[in-house]
Amino acid sequence: MPNGYMKLLAEETARTFTVDGPLKSITFDFLGREWVISESVVVQWVVMVVLAIFFFVLGRNLKVKPTSRRQMIAEYIVGTFTGQVDDAMGPNYKAYRPYIGSLFCFIFLSCIMGIFGLRNPTSDVSVTGAWAIITFVLVFWTKLKTGGVKGFLKSYVEPAPFMLPFNIIGDFANPIAQALRLFGNNVSGMVIGGLVYFALGGIAGGLASIGIPAVLSLYFDLFSAFIQSYIFVTLTMAYVSMADAS
Amino acid sequence: MEQAIVLAASAVGAGLAMIAGLGPGIGEGYCGGKAVEAVGRQPEASGAITKQMIIGDALAETTGLYSLIIALLLMYANPFIGQL
Repeated sequence: MPNGYMKLLAEETARTFTVDGPLKSITFDFLGREWVISESVVVQWVVMVVLAIFFFVLGRNLKVKPTSRRQMIAEYIVGTFTGQVDDAMGPNYKAYRPYIGSLFCFIFLSCIMGIFGLRNPTSDVSVTGAWAIITFVLVFWTKLKTGGVKGFLKSYVEPAPFMLPFNIIGDFANPIAQALRLFGNNVSGMVIGGLVYFALGGIAGGLASIGIPAVLSLYFDLFSAFIQSYIFVTLTMAYVSMADAS
Repeated sequence: MEQAIVLAASAVGAGLAMIAGLGPGIGEGYCGGKAVEAVGRQPEASGAITKQMIIGDALAETTGLYSLIIALLLMYANPFIGQL
């Protein structure tokens, strides 16, 4: 019985509320074993296609003096991310502007996919974990690049040698906390939204579930998604610029 | 019977785990209050202060989310039921 006591409860009311993991959208055999592509990945493909088309359309026919509204929007978006990255990381990290910008758009659109009836990819801990691992790799790479191998090893015994275990734990705790923060926020929104739909569905034959959950959706899907994706990219920038030894 | 005990204990455990929500609540409130004080003292720096406050809030929130994940595990992916 995998679903715990929620199912017990349901035996009395004849209605069930369960939270399912992502579906197995595509399965295929390759190299003698079965490979599964989950719903989270498929929804991320949708997000990628939407973003690619959106920014391709925005970036066409650019002129030195902007004449179209389309180009004004594009310049506003690029200018915002440029300003954010320069504020947080300084002028030495120009290469991070496109990464931070696309990461923010990608996370934000992934978080609000629930509005369009798809499952949020961010409600899957392996998706947020992958993004956190990218940050982790960037932090290590920055440490090695700016400090060299000597500076990299030395950063673990600062300020005092007995801090070595704490520094190592701290390095590995950051990506875990980052992944779980995004995952926890989104999955809690999903569960609370689902519970409210479930509870209101029993009132007036389901009519009560029209409209009222939209308020919750506004908070959990839009506001929380924006704040959480902002925090994710801000923390990425903060960790990377803190790893700079120079 | 055994199953009922495990389920009840899991439900109580999930509720107890969420008591950890106290900590982040106090921490974030403190963070927000200090940010308001800082903006009152230096209104021109409100952009930078807001950014720092959000980072601080996010870090304070982490422990609360850990407890939330424990609670969700107990409710939807209970590891103890399978051991009966």
